[in-house]
Amino acid sequence: MPKKKHENTGTEAAPEEIESGESTPENPPSNIREPMWVGTALAICITGWLIPGISHIVLGRWVRGLIFTASVMTMFGLGLMMQGRLYDITPEVPLHMFAFVADVGIGLPYILAQRLGYGVGVLSNPNYDYGSTYLWVAGLLNYLVVLDAFDISQGRKP
Amino acid sequence: MILSHFTALLIFALIVSVVFALINKTQPMEQLKYGAFVFLSFLGVALVVGWLMFPFPF
Repeated sequence: MPKKKHENTGTEAAPEEIESGESTPENPPSNIREPMWVGTALAICITGWLIPGISHIVLGRWVRGLIFTASVMTMFGLGLMMQGRLYDITPEVPLHMFAFVADVGIGLPYILAQRLGYGVGVLSNPNYDYGSTYLWVAGLLNYLVVLDAFDISQGRKP
Repeated sequence: MILSHFTALLIFALIVSVVFALINKTQPMEQLKYGAFVFLSFLGVALVVGWLMFPFPF
């Protein structure tokens, strides 16, 4: 009886890998794409940074992209509704740079919210700290989502 | 909008665990298990640390 081989690597698969269906470095899943030109991948990533989740949708991962969009935008919206603060670059307070880098990770919604006067930060609101944290984490999650999209475009992930 | 701290924690843990699960795992069952693990870890650690800090006046 011929032994079962991996679709991508051509090497023999261990029986437990075949049965479990789990992906391992030796047993990569079959829906990994061919590596994309880095310029195109970077353009997709920049688009994904500006509009959370769009990079996965462009790469054909519709469900994942929509879930990312919903998750990140929900977190960002809740942060604004809890009257958290969107940090800007303030040279007088250098440590605010970290908060700015986290906040700006959300991309266009950050710019829009600032233009519309949201994200001022109301210290008297009991949820102010949570709101600010939600805004930071929404941006940081979007960075992770963009990196995930880059890995997909380079054929490192399904 | 004013949420209780626990509600804010629940929503935070839910969203972060969903994103972590989708990023770190590829198979749906793996994603479900990992997402549940991250979600429960967030809740568990927050509750334990909350109780540990309870006696301290600072």
